[in-house]
Amino acid sequence: MNNGRRMLGSERTDANTTPWAVHRRAFLCQAGVNLGGAALSVLLAERGQAAGQGEAIHFPNLPPRAKRVIFLTQSGGPSQLELFDYKPQLYKLAGTELPDSVRQGQRLTGMTKDQKQLILPSIAKFSRHGYSGATIGEWLPHIAKVADELCFVKSMVTDQINHAPAMTKFLTGHQLPGRPSFGCWASYGLGSMNRNLPDYVVLISKMKRGSDQPLYDHYWGSGFLPSRHQGVKLRSSSEPVLYLNDPEGMPRSIRRSMLDGLSQLNQQRFERSQDSEIETRIEQYEMAFRMQTSIPELADLSDEPESTFELYGPDSRRPGSYAANCILARRLAERDVRFIQLFHPDWDHHSRLSSWCVSRCVDTDQASAALIVDLKQRGLLDDTLVIWGGEFGRGVAGQGQWDSPEAGRDHHPRCFTVWLSGGGIRSGMSYGATDDFSYNVAENPVQVRDLHATALHLLGVDHELLSYRFQGLDFRLTGVEPSRVVRDIIA
Amino acid sequence: MNSHRLLPRVLVVLAVSIASGAPIACSNEPVVFSRDILPLLSDRCFNCHGPDEAQRVTDLRLDTESDAKFMHEEYVAIVPGNLEESELWRRVNSTDPDKQMPPKDSHRAAFTELEKSLVRRWIEAGAPWGKHWAFEPPQRPSVPQLADHPIDAFIRQKLESVSLQSSPPAPTHTQLRRLSWDLTGMSKVADGPDPKTNLTADIWSAEVERLLASPQHAERMAMWWLDAARYSDSDGFQADATRENWPWRDWVIDAFHNNMKFDQFTLEQFAGDLLPDATPEQILATCFHRNHMTNGEGGRDPNESRVDYVIDRVNTMGTVWLGLTLGCVQCHHHKFDPITQQDYYSLAAYFNSIDEDGKAGMSAKPYLKYRSPRVAARMVEMQSFVIQCEQAEQLERDLATQRFNNWLKQRTQLPTNYRLWWTLSPEMASSDGTHFTVNAENIVQATGPIPFQDDYRATFTVPEGLERISGWSLEVYPDPQHAHGKYARDGDGNFVLSGVRLQIQTTGSRTQREVEMTSAKADYERDPKHKSELDSRYGPVIMTLNDDARDGWTTAGEEAPSEHRAVFELQRPETVQVGDRVTIMLRHRSTNGHANLGRFRISFCAQRGEPVRTVVGSSPLSEFYEHQRQSDTIQTEIPEALRQRLFEQFLLDDEDYQTALRRSTIVNQQLKQLQQESSPRNIMVLSERAMSRENHVLVRGVWDAPGESVARAVPPAVLDLPAEQVPTRIELARWLVDRRNPLTARVVVNHLWQIMFGRGLVRTPEDFGVQGAFPTHPQLLDWLAVELMDSGWDLRHILKVIATSETYRQSSDASSNAISVDPENLLLARAPRYRLPAWMLRDNALAISGLYNPVIGGPPVKPYQPDGVWAEITMGRFDYQPSLGPEQYRRTVYAFWRRSIAPVFLFDSAQRRVCEVAQRRTNTPLQALTLLNDTTMLEAARVLAERATAEKVEVTDNPQAVWESRLSWLSQQVLSRELEVVELKAVSDVWDSAKMYYATHPEAIALLTQVGQQPASTSPEVAGWMIVASMLLNLDEAMTHE
Repeated sequence: MNNGRRMLGSERTDANTTPWAVHRRAFLCQAGVNLGGAALSVLLAERGQAAGQGEAIHFPNLPPRAKRVIFLTQSGGPSQLELFDYKPQLYKLAGTELPDSVRQGQRLTGMTKDQKQLILPSIAKFSRHGYSGATIGEWLPHIAKVADELCFVKSMVTDQINHAPAMTKFLTGHQLPGRPSFGCWASYGLGSMNRNLPDYVVLISKMKRGSDQPLYDHYWGSGFLPSRHQGVKLRSSSEPVLYLNDPEGMPRSIRRSMLDGLSQLNQQRFERSQDSEIETRIEQYEMAFRMQTSIPELADLSDEPESTFELYGPDSRRPGSYAANCILARRLAERDVRFIQLFHPDWDHHSRLSSWCVSRCVDTDQASAALIVDLKQRGLLDDTLVIWGGEFGRGVAGQGQWDSPEAGRDHHPRCFTVWLSGGGIRSGMSYGATDDFSYNVAENPVQVRDLHATALHLLGVDHELLSYRFQGLDFRLTGVEPSRVVRDIIA
Repeated sequence: MNSHRLLPRVLVVLAVSIASGAPIACSNEPVVFSRDILPLLSDRCFNCHGPDEAQRVTDLRLDTESDAKFMHEEYVAIVPGNLEESELWRRVNSTDPDKQMPPKDSHRAAFTELEKSLVRRWIEAGAPWGKHWAFEPPQRPSVPQLADHPIDAFIRQKLESVSLQSSPPAPTHTQLRRLSWDLTGMSKVADGPDPKTNLTADIWSAEVERLLASPQHAERMAMWWLDAARYSDSDGFQADATRENWPWRDWVIDAFHNNMKFDQFTLEQFAGDLLPDATPEQILATCFHRNHMTNGEGGRDPNESRVDYVIDRVNTMGTVWLGLTLGCVQCHHHKFDPITQQDYYSLAAYFNSIDEDGKAGMSAKPYLKYRSPRVAARMVEMQSFVIQCEQAEQLERDLATQRFNNWLKQRTQLPTNYRLWWTLSPEMASSDGTHFTVNAENIVQATGPIPFQDDYRATFTVPEGLERISGWSLEVYPDPQHAHGKYARDGDGNFVLSGVRLQIQTTGSRTQREVEMTSAKADYERDPKHKSELDSRYGPVIMTLNDDARDGWTTAGEEAPSEHRAVFELQRPETVQVGDRVTIMLRHRSTNGHANLGRFRISFCAQRGEPVRTVVGSSPLSEFYEHQRQSDTIQTEIPEALRQRLFEQFLLDDEDYQTALRRSTIVNQQLKQLQQESSPRNIMVLSERAMSRENHVLVRGVWDAPGESVARAVPPAVLDLPAEQVPTRIELARWLVDRRNPLTARVVVNHLWQIMFGRGLVRTPEDFGVQGAFPTHPQLLDWLAVELMDSGWDLRHILKVIATSETYRQSSDASSNAISVDPENLLLARAPRYRLPAWMLRDNALAISGLYNPVIGGPPVKPYQPDGVWAEITMGRFDYQPSLGPEQYRRTVYAFWRRSIAPVFLFDSAQRRVCEVAQRRTNTPLQALTLLNDTTMLEAARVLAERATAEKVEVTDNPQAVWESRLSWLSQQVLSRELEVVELKAVSDVWDSAKMYYATHPEAIALLTQVGQQPASTSPEVAGWMIVASMLLNLDEAMTHE
C-alpha cells in the first residue's frame, strides 16, 4: 500500500523489510534479481508514476565531497584532556572539588560515583602546532605535525556512559544493538565502487592484552539492512577473510575446474526452474573466486616500498598492528572501497594515564599522521573523509588518588574531541568549545547524529532521505531527533 | 480479465497489487477499508494525525472514525459520499505547498494516482470505517468449493482471479526432500519411503506423521523458537560471560517432542514458577523471559540494566505472540497502532517485580538449581573417547621411544661448534632518543639523552649455524655510572621493563611476523612486600608478555644490585635462515617512568624445554654431550635421570607425539567440562519478589524518569479484560491464548506457514499492525488460526494440514507466464524456491555424509570455526577450541552461541540479541566461500568420497560403469536423485582434472583429505571424489528448498 513496500520489498534480501528510498541501482540489485524482465519494467513504469515527483532517490543526491570514509575508531574513550582539549586554568584548581555548578548532576559510573570529584589537570604538556596553532598534547608528536590538515571538533556530545551502549550509538546512532552501522548505511545508500572487494571493510588492531571491551560484531553489523552490507572483517592472519583460503592440497586449477562444473550444473538447473536466484548464485561464486585473489593481493604489503614503512613507523611492519592497518586502509582507499573502519581498542584509562593512555598514543600516533600525509601525497585525501574518535570522553576528576601517578579518569559523555580530515572538511581549524573544566560544551555542541549527518552530507547524501523501512517504520542513521549538518567545518 | 485487449492495464494493476503484498482492489472490486485505506492513512497521515498525541500538530485525528468525520472548525476531513466537501481529498490533490498533504517536509510520499483512486472510490462509496483487520477476532471463513483441501481451495480462489493455475506435483524425491527439510531441517531422516514409490495420500500422510514424531523435528522446531527467544550461551555485553541456561534449550526440544500444546507452552514459559505445585521443569520453562542480554559492565547502574530487561520481555512478547512492534511504545504512544504508553507500561508491570537486581555473569538471580538428566550419557560417550585418545597418545609415546633410541644410537659423534646460547651483536634503535654502544661481549650500554620512557629495538642478523629460535634471554647489569649504581641511568636506579616483543623479518620481506611467547622466568623479581613509590603492579617478569604497560618486570627492593637474568620461551620454535632479522623490543612504558635499562645483553637459544623454561637454563642435551665427552667411549650408558630428561626434551620436538598429546589433553578438558556440567546448573528463571515494585510510565522510555503510576493490565485494543481478571503472569499467558485474542493464533500459524513456505501469509511476521503487510490470503490465515485454536493449539496438526495440501506438494518450477504475472510468488501458483538456512546446510552435510551424531540435548558443543575467531574479537579473553570426537558432529541447535561473536559459519542467521522472527536470505560471495571452505562441509565431502569409493559395484570390469555407479550413489546422498545424462558430462570434466592432478601429487592428497578429524588418505580416487562431492554440496539445488 505504499511505494516503499510495493516497489522495493524483496524476497531475496530480507523477507519483510523494505528499503524506503534508495537509488535505482541498489534497487535493481536488490529487488531485480527475482523479477522477470516484463514485470520489472511494469513495476518501474509504475514507480515513475507512483512517485509523483519523479524517481526514487539517487544517492548521492547532493554534490559529494568525499567518495569514501576511513573511520579510525578509538575504542574505550580517549582522554580529550590529555590529547586535545587544553585547559591551563585547571592547574590552579588541581585537587579542588569539581563545582556542582559545573557537574550539574552528571551521572557517574559505579566506579567513581562514591568518591570525591577532585580536579586532575592534564598530566600531558600542551603546545601549539602549525599555522592554525592547534593545541595538542605532547603524547601525539606526529599528529601535531599534521595539525594543519585536521579539523578538531571539541564539542562532541553523547548521552551514554557505558562502553557498549556508547560505542553502539557512536556507530549506529542508537545505543541498543540492532541498527545498521554507519558503514552499512554508506554501502546501502551509495552502492559499490568495485567488483572485487566488499563495500565495507573492518580492521581490528591485534593486541596482546585482553581488552575489557570486546569489539562486538554488531559494531559493523547490518542490523535490519540486507546482510551483504555488513562490514567484512579483514583479519591479520594467513586467512585475511574467513573461509577465503581453499583447503590445503587444492590448487587453483582444481578450484577453477570445480567452479566451472558447478556453474554448468547450476546453469542447467536454471534453465529448468527459471529461478533467477541461481544466476545470481553463479555470479557470487565467481566473485568469491576473484576475491580469493584480490584480497590476498590487497593484504600483502610486499609491494610497498621501504619509504612506506618509514613513514608509518616501525610498528607498521607487524601485520595486525594499527600502523599496518593504516597502510591497508590506504590500499583499500586506492581500490575504492567505500567505507574503511579501523578499531583500536583499550583506550579505557581508568588509571595510570602516563602508561595506559601513553601506550595507546604510541600505538597510533605516527601511523594516524602518516595516513593523512600518505593520502595527501597520493591525491586521495581530497575525496577521502578521515574520522578519528572514540565513543565518549573522560572526566576532569581524577579516578583514584588524584595526585598519584596511578590516577586515571572515568568515562565522560558530555564532551569529547574527534578530528576529521580530507573529503571536504575545512582543515586547520577547531570547532566548538568546552567550558574551563572540559566538562560541558560551552559552544556549538555536536551530537553523534550531527557527526553522522555531516559525514553523510560530505558523501553527498541527505541524511533525512537515506532511510529503510523496518517493522513499519522508516529508520535513519540519524534517528528521529533533529540533527544538523555542521556546515562550519565544511570547506 | 480475460480480454486480451485489456491485458496491459490489468497487468499493471496486478503486478502492483501482487508485489505489494496487499492485493489492492481492482477497479471492479469494492475498496476494503482495512486493506486499502487504513494502511494509506497510517503511512501518510498518522504520524501527525494518529494515536500519538505528542506528535499531533492539530486536533485532527484520522485514526478514529468519529474524529475523521467530525466538523473541525471549518472543515470535515472525510464526508461520506461527498468528495468535494472532504478536506482530506482536497488536501491530497492540492498543489499548494502550504496545503498539500502529506506536506513535503514530512518526507512522506505523496499519494499516487492509484492510491488517490482508491481514496476517491472509498469516499464515494460512503467511506465505510472498520478496525484494522488484525484486531478483529478471526472467524472461520467458509471454504470455497474449489478443492478438497481447504488450503488448496483458498489458494485456487486467488489464482483463478488472475487466471493462474497451481503447478503439477513436484517429483517424488523433491516432495520428500522438501518435507524433510521443513519438518526436520535435514534432507532426509532414516527409513523414509522409497522415492520410486507412488506417493499416495496414505503413504504421504504416514511420512508426515513419521517426520513429525522424529526427534529431529523437535530440534528443528527448537531452532525456530531459540531464534525467537534470543537464546544464547553468553550474556552479550561487556565481558560476555558464559551462562548455564542450556537445560532450557532441552526443555524446548522436549516440549516440541511431546507436542506440548501451544497454550500450555505459553503458560509454562510465562508463569511456570507461579503454577500450583510447579515442577522444576515448569520453573525451568520461564528461562524464556531471562534469555535477554545482560550487562555487567563495571560501573553500570544495575537498575538501568534491570529496566532494560523488563522492556526486552515486553518487546519479545509483542513480537512473538502478538506480532506487534511494541518497542516503539517504550518512548511514546504508538504512532500507528492503538497502543498507548500506559498500555505498554501496564504490560511491563507483569515483569517488573521479578526478584532480580540487574546484575549479570553468575550474579543474575533468580536462579533455579537444576541438574540436567542429559549429561550422564554424554559423559559415558566422552569417557570412552578419552580412553581412545589416551591409548593413542600412549601408542605414540611408545613409537617415540623407539625414535628416541634410534636417535641416541645415531649420536656417534660429538657435533662440532655446538652452542647452547647464541650471544649476538645487535643494531640498536630507540623511539624516544636514547643512544647506545655495544661492546665486544655484545653488551649494550645506553648513553646520551635519558627520556622519561623509551622503547628499545634490538635487531640481530641470524648467523650461520642458528637454524631456529626457541627462546631468548635477557641479562641486565648494574653499573656504577647508573643512578645509585643500579640498572637505570635516572630515577632511583631501578628498571621497569613493561613489555617485550619479538619479531622476525625474513630475508627479502618487508614485513615482520610477530612471535608469541608463552613463558618468562627471572632469577629475581620484586618482592611483593616491597613498598616504595613504584607502582605495586611492577614485579613479575611474566607480566612483560601481555604488553600492558601498567605491569611488568622489576628487581626493585633487592638488597644489593647484581646481574640478573630472564628467560623467555617462544610458543613454538621459529625456523630462521642466515640473514633473517630478529628484533627484540624492550618496552619501558611504566607509569612512573625514569626506569629504562642502562646495560643489558640478549642471547638466543635453539633448544626446547629446560634451557628456555627454567632460569637456570640447564640443557639435557648439553649434559649428554658433556657426559659423552667425559666418557672413554662413545655410547656408554648414560645415567637414567639424564636419559629421562633427554627423552622429555626429545619428545617436545616429536610432532606425531605432540599431536596425540594435544588431542588427549583437549579431550580431557572436554571431559572435565562435562563433569562440571553434570552438577546442578544455575538457570536464570522467573520468580516474584516478596515486595512488588512500583510501576510507572517511563518518560520517553528513560529508565530513571518515572512518570504516572500504572497497574498491571492488558492492552484493551487487543482484547479488553478487566484488570482484576488479569492479575498475574498466569492470566497474562491465558490472555495471550484466549480464543478472543485476535492476534496470537494468527501470528503463530503465520510462523508455521513461514516454516513450510519460507515466508508467511503475512510477509511481516513481526508486525501485524497497521504498518505491517496485509495478508496475501486473509481468509486462509483466519481459517488456519481458527483451526489451530479448535485443535487445542496443536502445532503439529497445523503443520500436517499444510503438508497434506496439494499447494504444498506442487512443483517449484516456474513458467515464464507465472513469473511475469506473479514474480514474487505471492499467490503460490508454484511452490516457493529459496536457499535454506545455513544451520540446515550444516546439519544436512553431517546427516548425508554419515558423520551425524543424533544425540539429543546436553551442554553446548563447539563446531569447527576458523582459528582465532573468538580471540581476535575479545582480545584473547576467549579462545575457541572446537569439540573433538563425536561431539563435533552434533546438530547446530547444540552449538555454543557467544553473542559477541555468533558462530561464523551461520550466515544470514538471527543474531540472538533481541527476538527475531523474520527470515534473512541473501546471496553473497562470502556465503559461497563458507560453503566451499568450511571444515564441516569439507569433512562431509571427504567422508562421502571415502564411502563412494567403498561402494560395492556389481560390474567390476567396466571402469565407466564403476564410476557411474559411484557417482550415482553420491548424487543420491546429496541430491536424492540420479544425475541426468547432460549433467554427467560436467561432472566427468571435473573428475578428470582432479583425478589427473592427484594421480601425480600424492602429497596433495594427504593434505586435502586430512580434514576435520579424518586421517590422511593416499588414494587419488578419494581425493577426486572429494572434489566432486564438494561440488555437489555447493550446487544451488543442494542448498535450496525446491
